This record gives sequence, structure tokens and C-alpha cells, in this order.
Amino acid sequence: MVAVGLALSAAAFAVAFFVPWLPENASKERDGIDFLFWFTTIICIGIFALVTAVILYSVVKFRARPDDDSDGPPIHGNTKLEIIWTAVPAVLVIAISIVSGVVLARNDRIPSDALRVEVTGEQFAWSFKYPDAKNLASGGVLRLPRGRPVRLLISAKDVIHSFWVPEFGQKLDALPGSVNQLKITPTKLGTYSVICTELCGVGHALMRSEAIVMPPAKFDAWLRKQRTDMGQGGETAGKAVYANNGCGACHTFRPAGSKAGVGPDLDKLPAQASRAGEPLEEFVRESIVRPNAYVEPGFASGLMPQNYGEQLEGDQLDSLVRFLSEGAK
Amino acid sequence: MTAIAADHHELHAAPRPPARGWRRLTAAGYFRCLLTIPIFFGVGAGLMSLVRWLEGWHPVWNGTVITTISLTTIPLGVLVGIGGFDYWMRYAFGAPTAPEDHSGHGGKTWRDYFRINTDHKVIGVQYLVTTIFFLLAGGLLAMIMRAELARPGMQFVDNQTYNGLFSVHASLMIFLFVIPAFAALGNYVIPLMIGAPDMAFPRLNALSFWLLPIAGFMMLGSFLVPEGAFACGWTGYAPLCSTHQPLGAVFFQMGVQWAGASSIMTGLNFLVTIITMRAPGMTFWRMPLLVWANFTTSLLVVIATPFIAASQFFAMFDRVLHTSFFDFAQGGYPLGYQHIFWFYSHPAVYIMMLPGFGIASEVIAVMSRKPIFGYRLMALSLMAILVLGFSVWAHHMFVAGIASWLRVPMMVTSLVIAVPTGIKVFSWLATMWEGKLNLATPMLFALGFVSMFVVGGLSGIYLAAVPIDIAVSDTYFVVAHIHYVLFGGSLFTIFAGIYYWFPKMTGRMYNEKLGKLHFWLTFVGFNVTFFPMHLIGIQGMPRRVADFEPRFGDWNMLISIASFALGASTIVFLYNMITSWIRGPLAPANPWRSMTLEWQVSSPPPIFNFDEIPQVVGGPYEYGVEGARHAVFNGDRASEHEKVPVH
Repeated sequence: MVAVGLALSAAAFAVAFFVPWLPENASKERDGIDFLFWFTTIICIGIFALVTAVILYSVVKFRARPDDDSDGPPIHGNTKLEIIWTAVPAVLVIAISIVSGVVLARNDRIPSDALRVEVTGEQFAWSFKYPDAKNLASGGVLRLPRGRPVRLLISAKDVIHSFWVPEFGQKLDALPGSVNQLKITPTKLGTYSVICTELCGVGHALMRSEAIVMPPAKFDAWLRKQRTDMGQGGETAGKAVYANNGCGACHTFRPAGSKAGVGPDLDKLPAQASRAGEPLEEFVRESIVRPNAYVEPGFASGLMPQNYGEQLEGDQLDSLVRFLSEGAK
Repeated sequence: MTAIAADHHELHAAPRPPARGWRRLTAAGYFRCLLTIPIFFGVGAGLMSLVRWLEGWHPVWNGTVITTISLTTIPLGVLVGIGGFDYWMRYAFGAPTAPEDHSGHGGKTWRDYFRINTDHKVIGVQYLVTTIFFLLAGGLLAMIMRAELARPGMQFVDNQTYNGLFSVHASLMIFLFVIPAFAALGNYVIPLMIGAPDMAFPRLNALSFWLLPIAGFMMLGSFLVPEGAFACGWTGYAPLCSTHQPLGAVFFQMGVQWAGASSIMTGLNFLVTIITMRAPGMTFWRMPLLVWANFTTSLLVVIATPFIAASQFFAMFDRVLHTSFFDFAQGGYPLGYQHIFWFYSHPAVYIMMLPGFGIASEVIAVMSRKPIFGYRLMALSLMAILVLGFSVWAHHMFVAGIASWLRVPMMVTSLVIAVPTGIKVFSWLATMWEGKLNLATPMLFALGFVSMFVVGGLSGIYLAAVPIDIAVSDTYFVVAHIHYVLFGGSLFTIFAGIYYWFPKMTGRMYNEKLGKLHFWLTFVGFNVTFFPMHLIGIQGMPRRVADFEPRFGDWNMLISIASFALGASTIVFLYNMITSWIRGPLAPANPWRSMTLEWQVSSPPPIFNFDEIPQVVGGPYEYGVEGARHAVFNGDRASEHEKVPVH
């Protein structure tokens, strides 16, 4: 039986170590989570191998022959054994509790100089704002500097959403009416998916965005550039509004360099406007402010947030409409 | 007691003749429903329209409001029509109650299974067949989901339909299959096991069954609502389900009320039956472990179910009465929904598991020919799980934004539940040790249950550890976990129970070869379907999505193919059950050589279970003990010259 148990443990360890179970580790918080994951896995493999080995051994060894109608030995219990299998699991779960508690406390502690980012979920898009940088809105894309702790202030406008980046390990619900706090310390440059993990309605599966981890100097430069771009008129401003409000998370638009298939292709705006029977600029403005007024065939109504009209200031909306209409011609 | 049982046969009145002609419209039955449904619907809709007209609200005839009200009035019409309230109504109005002629007792033809019947054995079969119907319905919905998920992108259904599919799938499986399927087996077996002629409240028992099809068809029927079925998951979180979803949501909120009411009635009935109707000599420490398990489960049901009823009423009132329990803009508290909901729905996990523990204990002891190892600790660990089960609900909310200090104590209590659960698993293993194992189909399913439940329990450890839970909650890891617990755990034990008691219920043996084929198809199909879900969940695939990143495409294709095989294995099960029920070989009274009482009577049992009340003289699992008996009957006593006090 010991041999069966060892063979099973070896097989389980092989599955555990040769299959890439964990996603890429891109944050300091993920370190603790990954350590705890393996700590728990080793304990669990031991228990699984023990139970399965006893079952397999018993099935082979104690199977009654067809003509054997006798009973087994009348063993009613064994106090020593029962104490052991009460005490050992108790010790193991307490060990897991302690390690979890330590990891949790570390991942929860947010230093006071952390970069603050306001994360807002709504049906069905994310938006991000930087209160430390004059409330700059980075729209649908979360940009973070590498190596600096970030304090995410998470809330929602309508129903409950949940903010998750698998590579960062951290996740927290966005509740309407309250602000939840989450710490992330990105450690690797790259682009990661921001995923909504709380069912929030028809567009839940499509409620995705990007988190881009940049070198600190580049991040600061980006912040500066955004602020100046916002102040200017013309196409630069329109492009900034487009990027800051996450239009590119769902739409393809060549002048902005975005490629996504959740919503209609904006390079084909003129054709869509003629299908809707409206002049291009009016059509673009209407589609931003009242997205359900005309829905392109093949796309579902109600997927695009319906409050961009309130969210965008008048001149921002104007420059976005100009950017889209001119870029698509 | 012996005298009372004998009286039953002699004193009952002659059965009433069946109603003919127009009298069918007033006699209890489906014909009367043609009368009562329009009356109840009309009264509800009429009152509503009158109020709206008096208040000057337009339109007076509002489809949404009428639908909501009809989800109460039409089911009541059905229940009144088929005669669910006849006895009590006559009693309440002072009319002479119908003498108990036992025409509502026992099943003589197949027609008796489609009527109100007060015999626990008939109700048990009604329950079981109904729940298997909903198992198939829920399974077919899952097949459509897997077809959609086989490839990334959208193929067969749109997002709203997909959300409806998994919501109805989960609700049917939980509220219309797992919970009532255990009630079905308990209904049939518990009175027999404790030596009682029936349940304590047979009319309540009948009523609690008839609430089930109502709840089930209400949930299924939500697909016919103009804007689609309820699509907010079986958890129905507010404010999404309370105010942000179309009318279908009300079908869930009301369906849960009917299923919950059924659960509570059955739970009460079990409690009173087990406490008051045990045969002489059957002390608590001589009860079979399935009786212990149903006792603890019933306590959980009676204490916890009102909480989900409340949460669904609150959510529904937010929609139809414009209250603001969960509307933050009006001062409501969205997290409050989750606290109330999980205060039921975590104990509900044990409602869906403890009876399975009981079935596994019966099967493993009998099929190993050994006493259950550590009987008292087995019973006490059930009680420990019952108590601890009420202290862990917030582990479903570690990422919900609850007070952060609350997560640590909830983590510790959740992990501590592993201790009584571990005691049970190790005791089953020790029961098998050095036994004489009979690997018949029920035993295979019981062993499959032990090994799969261990996997589900271990993934539960990951989910209880807060930092890991933060990373994997609401992903396919959770989908894998709940299916290992509810499919590998509950469904495997339900199958074990169905095969184990099939000879007792039908009087015929099932086909052993087909049973084993069913087990192996299910076991392999189940593991290939659900084990890879752990992996894709950890790596980043969220649950409840119709579309996913292309990098998960291969795994999902494999999972879909395996799930179709798993679905097909059900055909083997159905074929075996139906053909064996019709023309299987006749079963002996006690094919498993079991000691418990249900096997000491004929298969199927006599109409009042025991022609004489048994005298319990020992424990239920004394296999291998020289000359041990669980119970003796009068005839035995005479022959053995024993003196046992007669009650």
C-alpha cells in the first residue's frame, strides 16, 4: 500500500510541477499567493495520495470472492486512530490558516505614498482616473508604473462588478455606493487583461480592458503628455479623448491604432452612417451619446455604456466627434 | 403500537367511488384545475386591475404586474384543484372531514403516481422521478452551454441566452434536483429505517411534493418570457437581479419560494418523524447513519431556508414594490443581499451533502460486511458540520468588499470544517479495511464519491485560504470545485442510493452490468470534464462567460467533448432503470444482506410498511458480530424464547 501511495504522490507531483498551473507572476502580491498555493498543494497531494491509495489497495486486497458470504472482523473503532485523524488535519489547517493570515496581512498593507487610481466599473466598461495627477482620466486603459505600490479605489456606478488581473493575483468587487481598496505592486513590464469577474449583465463576458505596466520614467512622461494633449484642440485632443475613455477596448479605428471586435469597426463609419440615413458627423455624435438609437447589424443593443454624453465635457465630445469623422473619411 | 398498526387494516372506510361526469369538476383532480386556475388567476388579476383603476394608474392591465401576481395565484389554483388543501379546508370550515379511507394511500396503478397521495413510498417515487426529470432538463441546458463553449467566439446562442442557460441550469440542479432528490430517498427510506408506518404528517408530505413541479416549471418556463430567462446566476445578486434585469428574474425569485417552502415542510416532517416515530428500542445511538444525516439536514433546512426566502422577497420587492433594500441610491445596502443569501446558501451546501454522507455510510458498511468505523464520531461529526456550517458564510464574499477583519475568522472556521469531514472520510476507509468488499454498482458509486469528494474538499481548502481565494474566486476553479462537490459528491451518492434501494422500491433488480458501465462512463467523463477547469480557472478564465480568450480554446474543446460523453452516460442509466423496472428479475427482500429495518420487509414493502412493529435490540451495523441483531419481530421472539418488553 505504501508503494501505491508513493506512486500516486509521484504522479500527482508530476502533474503539479510539469503542468504550468499558475499564470505569469507580475506583481509583488502574487509572490505570497504563489507561495501559499504550493504550500497548500503539497499538503493536499499528501492527503489525496493517502486516501486514494487506501481505496485502491482495499479494492484489490479485500475484495470478496463470489462464493464468500462471510462478514469481516467486527471492528467498531479505535480511539488512538480517531484521535490521530482528528488532530493531524487540525494541525494542518491551522498551519494553512497562519500562512494565509501572514500573506493576507502583507498584501493588504498599503503604504501611504502609494499611487492612487480610481477604478470605476459600469455596464460594460472600466474607467480609470488618477487623483494624484489632477484627476486625469486614462479612460479604458489602466497604465501603471513598475515597482511602485498602487492603491486602487474601486467602485461601481450601476451593479456589482469585480476587478481582476490574473497576473497580479489581486481581485476585488466594485460596489455601487462604496469604495473598496486594493493594493497592487506591478513588477513586470507588459500588457495584461483587466477582467470583470462578477456577473454584471448581458455584456459581462465582454467587459474587459487592459493594464499596461510601464517603466516609471515613461509613465511620468505619459502623464505629462496627456495633460498637455487635453489642453490642446484639434486632432491630438480627439485622439487623447479616444484613448482616455477606452474606446479602443471595444472598437477598431486605424488612426488611433486600436484593434478590437466587441463593437462595430469605426473605420467603416461612413458606410454605417449611410445605412442609418444620417450625415456622418451627426451620426457619430448620436452614436456616442445615445448608442442604442442605431445599432449596427450583428451587434447587440445595450452593450455600449449609455452615459458618455454626461461623462464627456462639451469640448471633449466635439473633438472626439471631429477626430472620428475626419479619421474615417 | 402493534395494536394500532393492526387497526389500520380493519377500521378503514370503504374507498369512495371515482367521480363521473360533471362531478369531475368538483372532485379533486386535474379536471378541477380547469376551474380553479381561472378563478385564482381572475381574482388576482381582477384585484390588481381594480386597484390600478381606482388609483388612476395606466395601463390598468399591466402584463408585468399580472405575471408577477400570477406566479402566486396560478400555483395556488393548481394546488387547490388537485386537492392539496381539501382535508384542511373542510376542517377549517367546520364541514365533516373525509374519513380516512386510505384511497390516497399506496400506489395500485400508474395513475396513482399522478395524483395527490399520502403514502410516503408513493411520494418518494413521485419525488425521485420528478427530480430525475429536472436532472435531465438541467443537464440538457449544460449540453447547450458546452456546445457554445467548445470554441472561442459566439456560435449558437447570444450573451443574454447564455446567461439564462447557466442560471436555469444551476437553479434546477440545486433546487429541483440535489436537494429534493435526497428528500426523495429519505422520504422512501427513513420511515422504513426507523420502523414507522409512514411519515408523521402524510398530507403535508403530499403537499410538499406538489410544490416542486410548480417551482421547476416556473424556472424552466422563464425561457418563454419575452425578454428571456432569468440571467443573473443562481445567486441572483442584487442590484443586478433586483432592478437591472428583465421580468424573467421574478420567475427565479418566486420559483425559489415554492421550492423553499417544499424544503421546509419536508424538513419539519422528517424532524417530527425521526423524533417521535422511532420503533421501540430505537434509541438515537441505534439509528442508522442515514437517519442521523437526514436529522441534521432537516435541522439545517428548517433553520436556514427562511433566509433565502427573505433575500428573494426583498430583491423582488425592490423591483415590483419599489422598495430599496439593495438600491444604494435610496440608502439600500447591496452587500446585505449577499450576507442574507449566503447565510442560507452556505448551509445549503451541507443540505446537499450530509444526506449523501448518510447514503455512503449505509452502502459502505453493508458492502464491506463490517460495522461502520467509529459510529458515534460519525454521528457527532454530522452535528459538528451542522454547527460550523452556520459560521462560514462570508467565505463566499472574500472579494466582495466585506469588512477586512471578518475574512480571517471566516477563513479559520471554513478550514476547521475539514476536520469533521476528514473524520468521516478516514472512518469510511477504516470501515473498508479488512472487510469483504462487494463491488456492486452502489459500492462503486460510493467509492467514486469518497475519492471525488476528497478532491472537491481539497480544492475547498484552496478557496478557504483567503489570498488564494482572492486570486481564483469567480473563475473556472470555482466551477470545478462546486462540480466536484455537487456532482462527484452529491450526485454520485444519489446514484449509489438509487441503485442500492432500487430493489426495495420496485421489487425488481437492476442490471448489474449496465450499472457498472454507467459508473465507469460517469466517473471518467466527469473527471475529464471537470478536472481541467481547475487549470483554466487559475490561469485566468472567469466563470459565467459565453466567450473566452482563444488560448483556452483547446482545453474547452476537450471539456466539451468529455461533457457530451458524460451526458450520454445518462442514457445508460435511464435505459437500465426503465427496463429493469418493467421486466427486471424479481428482487428478494434483502438482496444486500443488510441489517437495517427497510430490508427486513418484503420488496416492495407492504402498504403500512410493517405488519408488526419491530423491536430494536442493537446497533444497525453489527456485521461480523456473532448472533447480533438490529431488530426482532414477534415471530422471532417466540422462536428464540426471548423476553423483550412489549410496548
